Amino acid sequence: MMGPGVLTEWRDQPLDEVFWHCRELLEDDSYPTVKRWREGGGKVIGHFQVYFPEEIVHAGGLLPFKVRGAQVEPLQADSRFGSYLCSILKTSLELALSKRIELEMFVTHPICDAARNLAGVWGRNFSYPCQILYLPQNANSNHAAEYLRGEYARLKRAVEDVAGREIADQDLRRSLALFNRNRALLRELYAIKRDAPWLVSADEAYVLVAVGGLIPREEHNELLEAVIPLIRGREARRQDRVRVVFEGGFCEQPPLDLIRAIGRSCYVVDDDLLIGLRWILEDVPLDGDPLLNLARSYLESSSYSPVQHDLRKPKEKMLLKRIQDSAAQAAIVTAAKMCEPGLEEQVAYTRALDEASIPYFVSEFEENMTSFDHLEIQLETFIENLLFE
Amino acid sequence: MIYTSGIDIGSTYTKAVVIDAENTIVGRAMQPTGFKLAEVAERVHQMAVEEAGLAADDVRYVVATGFGRHQAQISDVQVTDLTAAARGTTLFFPATRTILDVGGQTMKASRLGDGAKVKSFRLNDKCAAGTGAFLEKTARYMGYTTEEIGPLVATSKEAIPISGVCAVFAESEVINHLSQGVAPADIMHGAIVSLVGRSVQLMKRVRMEPEFTLIGGILRFQRMVDVVREQLEAEVNVPDGDMVQFTSALGAAILGQHRLHKLADERRGAKDARATAPGA
Repeated sequence: MMGPGVLTEWRDQPLDEVFWHCRELLEDDSYPTVKRWREGGGKVIGHFQVYFPEEIVHAGGLLPFKVRGAQVEPLQADSRFGSYLCSILKTSLELALSKRIELEMFVTHPICDAARNLAGVWGRNFSYPCQILYLPQNANSNHAAEYLRGEYARLKRAVEDVAGREIADQDLRRSLALFNRNRALLRELYAIKRDAPWLVSADEAYVLVAVGGLIPREEHNELLEAVIPLIRGREARRQDRVRVVFEGGFCEQPPLDLIRAIGRSCYVVDDDLLIGLRWILEDVPLDGDPLLNLARSYLESSSYSPVQHDLRKPKEKMLLKRIQDSAAQAAIVTAAKMCEPGLEEQVAYTRALDEASIPYFVSEFEENMTSFDHLEIQLETFIENLLFE
Repeated sequence: MIYTSGIDIGSTYTKAVVIDAENTIVGRAMQPTGFKLAEVAERVHQMAVEEAGLAADDVRYVVATGFGRHQAQISDVQVTDLTAAARGTTLFFPATRTILDVGGQTMKASRLGDGAKVKSFRLNDKCAAGTGAFLEKTARYMGYTTEEIGPLVATSKEAIPISGVCAVFAESEVINHLSQGVAPADIMHGAIVSLVGRSVQLMKRVRMEPEFTLIGGILRFQRMVDVVREQLEAEVNVPDGDMVQFTSALGAAILGQHRLHKLADERRGAKDARATAPGA
């Protein structure tokens, strides 16, 4: 990116102001940072939830834009999808149909039937390429990494066509290093959530992570490098709150106000919100074939979600591990309305939690919901039972 | 002695109660809430601590409740008004099964189970219809202050029906009655009857059971208590004097004591587990 960057308002501001600017950006459905990028001559590739190898797009000099729905009325998209489908599909398409976002290419994944069909529906409305990136259905096959490397190579060729230039291995390695740094910073942020959750609220941590999908990763790294020390130095009173893990935010995102409401009652010490941005858990090796390294990391050094099926990572056991690693006392098990993978997994999650005698709170949400009073009071009652029983 | 404090940040008034380990009130204070919730919570807490003759550090645990509970930075934990009210009410009246809490902007009915656990509850709608704000506005239309409501309504001979509890629509009705020469005391009485009608509906929706206990700032008006008693056709409990306003703050302070006991038990349990662990 040429020039001073697409998000500059936070610079030299006190911490609370930084959070305010991040929140404003996240809730602005005109996507000003993406527009600024385009005004500077940049091209944009939109990718749907959950995981996407953004490094490949970055290596081509394009902006990877995380398409994760929005709090908008799907006035045009409603006619493209049935009422029985989740909200994020409709609002994501609405962003494009209403020209709030303009792209040079769109990629989705077969994470569920609805998301797989999104590329077809999207492609009928726009002339730019719309693709499905087929992440391996069988992560346990000996050929999964090799297969995925092939998919990444196919994606790379499509990105090169849009970029108008070839992407060299050296370009990819530079991008891998940049994204490794980004994931390390996000891990650091999550370590604060885990070790000293009173220093950063659930919604503050969320906005810091989420803006990464809206700005170049160089700028996101700069933002995190400036903010994390400020959070560590913050003077905040430690309260006697229950430590919880929030599960169910891997695809459609709960409204920011809901995350804030949850964070008022308890300490959210870990979660799966925007897990795609934190999917790879260790640095991707820079030596050797960068695409193969990236593919292996997706399979071998990665988190979990209801849309990846890996026999080595039974989701309910991974949830118990997340709870144990963060010393959480309870779980909030939620899912977006009409989200088949999320709702299905609730059964396994709650059974495992019952067997482990870990208290949990089950709920549903929708990105467009605006009233949280009842949900908040139910959650508070659950928390009070833990505190006082 | 172990002291705890409960702060109830209500929509109109903020109350604080300091208690000792025997649940005896040793200090309390009340101030209008205003708009700086964190500041008023801290100020009222300090006033209650001072009244108790304690230093700030003597209070081991602070619990905030009320609509502004999340703004109280001084607190160790926040609890809902429902839980706090249940604990405070059952200290005064242990056999309570249904609570009606009418405050400045909210109205809540809750049914309790064993151990003061809230089994069912209902809140008023988003607007302040059917709450203290309705009575305050009705009084203001007629040129009376909130504190004059009690003495005014005590002189009423009959209640003049007010058809709703919406403060906006009630204004024209009040003006109409005044223009026809109806006594302000009777209009005020009618407003109370209308408000109580709504309260009883809320109590029915939680499947109320006796004993009934009434709390909240509006219950300091004796006429309000009388009308509830008439409409329920049953006896009701009301905490003495201005304790109707302090019940939730008291409940929060009791929960603080409870929490300290639980934390001490957990620490003892962890210590015992370490002592009995292999190799200890």
